[in-house]
Amino acid sequence: MLNIRTAFGEPVKPGWPWPTKGNVVGAVASGPLIEALVVSCSRLLIGFAISVLVGVLLGVVIWTIKSVDQLLGPLFLGLQTLPSVCWVPLGILWFGINERGILFVLVMGSVFAIAISLRDGMRTIPPIYRRAGLMLGASGWKQYAYVLLPASLPALATSLRQGFSFAWRSLMGAELILAAQRHGLGFLLEIGRSFADVAQVVAVMMMMVIIGMLADRFIFAPAERRVHQRFGLVVAE
Amino acid sequence: MARPTSGILRNETSAVSARGRLTLSNVSKNFDGTGVPAIQDITLECQPGEFVVVVGPSGCGKSTLLNIAAGMLKPEKGTAAIDGRLIQGPGPDRAMVFQDHGLFPWLSAAQNVEFGLKMAGFSRADRQQRVAEALRMVHLSRSAGKLVHELSGGMRQRVAIARSLVVDPAVLLMDEPFAALDAQTRTLLHQQLQELWVETKKTILFVTHSVGEAVRLADRIIVMHAHPGKIRAEIDIPLSHPRDIDSRDINDLVHRIRREIEDEVNRVNANLAPEDQWKPKAAGDLVDCSANLGSGI
Ligand SMILES: Nc1ncnc2c1ncn2[C@@H]1O[C@H](COP(=O)(O)OP(=O)(O)OP(=O)(O)O)[C@@H](O)[C@H]1O
Ligand SMILES: [Mg+2]
Repeated sequence: MLNIRTAFGEPVKPGWPWPTKGNVVGAVASGPLIEALVVSCSRLLIGFAISVLVGVLLGVVIWTIKSVDQLLGPLFLGLQTLPSVCWVPLGILWFGINERGILFVLVMGSVFAIAISLRDGMRTIPPIYRRAGLMLGASGWKQYAYVLLPASLPALATSLRQGFSFAWRSLMGAELILAAQRHGLGFLLEIGRSFADVAQVVAVMMMMVIIGMLADRFIFAPAERRVHQRFGLVVAE
Repeated sequence: MARPTSGILRNETSAVSARGRLTLSNVSKNFDGTGVPAIQDITLECQPGEFVVVVGPSGCGKSTLLNIAAGMLKPEKGTAAIDGRLIQGPGPDRAMVFQDHGLFPWLSAAQNVEFGLKMAGFSRADRQQRVAEALRMVHLSRSAGKLVHELSGGMRQRVAIARSLVVDPAVLLMDEPFAALDAQTRTLLHQQLQELWVETKKTILFVTHSVGEAVRLADRIIVMHAHPGKIRAEIDIPLSHPRDIDSRDINDLVHRIRREIEDEVNRVNANLAPEDQWKPKAAGDLVDCSANLGSGI
């Protein structure tokens, strides 16, 4: 018999409890859930920004310097496949059960995906752009600013889109385990479990899915589509 | 053709002055260091304002030659110079038009043309004026705002030409710029290129594997041969520009030059091992264009 107990000390009986519609709606509209939403989103903004900055930098570096890529490329690839919750113990040991610990897990869970996917995308930049740029006087930093950066926009859009979903997942995992002072959505999920409150669990999960879907549908997918259209990479419907 | 031009795209400095003299002296390039060099001992001088066309089969080193002139490749032996200055690297004094245009897809046609001016630090007003003038010269004023993928293949090449011309290079380097186009478009662009050249008086070094194209465009044709890439013959074309491409003169000349080239090839082949011999007919090299030139490719 599983030895899981609820917050009231009763053993959890793994049955199939179903929430009622009213309960879920009530949970969604409840104050703590809205608060948790705000907490999670603010963490996401900060963490994803760090992740993008570092990831793009790493991606550009391993794309530019071959020897660094040989050294770090396989490592990044390996770390990218690591499930992000595996960073939780290190996050706790290094930073403690706090905001920084959570951000650490978020960043580690998404930064390598961004770097690797950016590098792969930049590898497909036709070398003729660089040559055309050189011919027209774009060398040194101008080459990066006016040729390589814009040429890598499709790769960047794809890698950010991918990076975002990694970041969101990592954050939820981190919040679930790391009970920091401020409660995010992930922690509410855990509370729902410990109080055997199925309605809350389902409501929080729905919230997570909705946030991920909305961000992808209204931010990342359109951005990617617009870049690809501009480059003539997809046929516009 | 009395057009109101501001003269910005003209070779301003050259009131018969020597801007645009491209000199290659004993240039060799061997990519793998061993084996047969891509090009060997090429000596070639393009006079200011001259239209030189290099003809040769695939792999004879035409692109290599152009890339050395562009400064994208360093020759192992020999020197390349422009107006007496040694060519050290790429620069806007030698603008290149690539076979697959190389336009930037994130920019519009006009922004592509503007790019070189922006890099050179021209003022916005200055840029706009020059871009408009360059687009007019390639008859694309109405497509200025289009994105690259919204342009046809021929329009893309014309934008590429405008982008190269607008920075007022001394020499225009063209690497089979029309090879991927259909016959009608190519004919149109041959005419437009001749007009452009008459108007701007740029030195043009143009590479092709089509004799018909060479005869239509060139003051002088350089015939190359592969393994190793060497110059085999030079032929002057004493016809005035712009040429009527359907004229008998051109047609006759194409046939004569093709024969000359074949003779030359036979002469060279006689001294080569069979596997190194170049058989233009079998390969379809140099023959394709001349065969149907009469029908106005
Ligand atoms: N970067 C390179 N590395 C190694 N070999 C090369 C390189 N570029 C060209 N070559 C070799 O040099 C020779 C000449 O190539 P080049 O591209 O100049 O020929 P080409 O005359 O332009 O041919 P085409 O008409 O097909 O464009 C070829 O044998 C080619 O294999
Ligand atoms: Mg070539």
